[in-house]
Amino acid sequence: MNEVIEAVGLTKRYGTRRGIEDVDFAVREGEAFGFLGPNGAGKTTAIRLLLGFLRPSGGRATVFGQDAWTEAATIHERVAYLGSDPGYLGGLTAAEQLDYLGALRGLPKRSWQAVAERLELDTTVRIRKLSRGNRQKIGVVAAFMGNEPLLILDEPTTGLDPLMQREFLALVSEIKSAGRTIFLSSHNLPEVERACDRVAIIREGRLTEVRAVAELLGDHWRSVNLLLAAPAPVGHFSLSNVEVLAQTGREVHLMVLGDVGPLLDRIAALHVADISITTPDIEDLFLREYRAPAAVVGPEPPEPAGTEARP
Amino acid sequence: MNAAFGMELRRMRSLVGWTAVASMVYGGIVAGFYPTIRDNQAMIEQYMGLFPKDLLSVFGMEGGLADPGAFFSMYVGGMLWPIVAAVAAIALATRPVAADLEHGFLELVLSTRLSRVRYLGTAIAGQLVAMAVLALATVGGILVVGRVVGSPFDAGRFMLAGIHAFGFGITIAAVTTLLSVLTLDRGRAAGIAAGLVLGMYLLDAASKVWTGIGGVAALSPFQHFQTRPIIDEGVFPIADFLLFVVVATLAWGAALLLFRRRDLAA
Repeated sequence: MNEVIEAVGLTKRYGTRRGIEDVDFAVREGEAFGFLGPNGAGKTTAIRLLLGFLRPSGGRATVFGQDAWTEAATIHERVAYLGSDPGYLGGLTAAEQLDYLGALRGLPKRSWQAVAERLELDTTVRIRKLSRGNRQKIGVVAAFMGNEPLLILDEPTTGLDPLMQREFLALVSEIKSAGRTIFLSSHNLPEVERACDRVAIIREGRLTEVRAVAELLGDHWRSVNLLLAAPAPVGHFSLSNVEVLAQTGREVHLMVLGDVGPLLDRIAALHVADISITTPDIEDLFLREYRAPAAVVGPEPPEPAGTEARP
Repeated sequence: MNAAFGMELRRMRSLVGWTAVASMVYGGIVAGFYPTIRDNQAMIEQYMGLFPKDLLSVFGMEGGLADPGAFFSMYVGGMLWPIVAAVAAIALATRPVAADLEHGFLELVLSTRLSRVRYLGTAIAGQLVAMAVLALATVGGILVVGRVVGSPFDAGRFMLAGIHAFGFGITIAAVTTLLSVLTLDRGRAAGIAAGLVLGMYLLDAASKVWTGIGGVAALSPFQHFQTRPIIDEGVFPIADFLLFVVVATLAWGAALLLFRRRDLAA
């Protein structure tokens, strides 16, 4: 399978300020690739490097095999982009803005109509009068109105209501079915979980993990939520295969890898008011990632399961 | 790219339209006053004689005001046009790079097939159109009102003065475009450009009092923007005009080159 995007040692520094550092990843043709991280982690910097808005301080990024910095204009012919904070022209209607963007992308007039109807966007109102959510819809419509083989989406559902988020996911699914590639940057974990095949987690400018979403979710991890009658003693859950994600008074949120027997023994020693054991969602995994000290993705395999306990 | 240029014209139409109207009205009012000045030449000159000569020369009030070249060079060439040209040039030239980057519009359009050079090139074409419209409106106001009040001015000479004014205006626009690309900050670029225009004006004014600084004062575009010989004698200052064109071309060229290789981060 061809790699549509490839970043090798990609680094960007703004003077002494950190951007991203030594980032490696590849996005395959036809996959939806999630780029997860909190605000300030370096997601937008990475996207700006991929689009050639920024020159790398080190390493390189290629899109469709072409250098993202030197061949930006050529690359853009095959990319649809939705920025995190696009500056539409307030004096235009959404229709005028979309027609303008369509013309710059070589699309016929009103290419946006079908997607705009699906997202219930009123294209006749001047943009300055639209709500935040409706402005965001313009970006989503713009991203999905063409046939470019690669979509780069930066926080695409910010401000969209749940119904529209669902419609967005349906659009993503259709794009994937058509064999097009999606690079989706977000801090909305459920969205990435539902939309993406693989996910990269970026933390403080460095990639800490690149894995298939199914793999992340389908390992032998279990999420355990406890409501205790009284707070548990400190260190009560210190086991080699258990991580305590949160412990606030009587509530405890744990993750357990592999054999749950030893943990159940510890739990049985307490007075439990309520318990739930579920497959962790990506939010749990993300939380776990962020609690750990920063580690960089490297060639070494991860530690064997259950060999290290974290308080 | 037609869509980009069409949008450029649309975005600037309000600023250019209203500035053109203001410029035309002001030019017309000045032209409307001209017959009064001409018909009362002796009285006006007696009045002007009360002022120190150096002070009058600072404001370009040299020669008789009944002379159309002196009159319009002072009220339009020396006052109205520098203000109109600076306002329009600074507003237009700081928008496409610095302001559009801050606003988030730049990423939107540059993520399409539109290259950086074509985007800025289109904006520069817009600046040329804007300056031409403003110069034409100013001259047009003078010529139309001149006819109405029974003082038909030489349209050919005034059009030549308009062309020279256009050269002066594009110089400010081009240098401001370069500042906009250098700083990527509308406030800073506009502030520096406005300061430069004011500084150059003061340098030119000072050179009329202290003739010893004439060499340095030659750097001021105001020294090269003299419309009186055009209006009075029909002599077009081709060297000065070419200087404006060369400076503008170099500044815009540098801006385009720099913009191609610039990190776009607000």
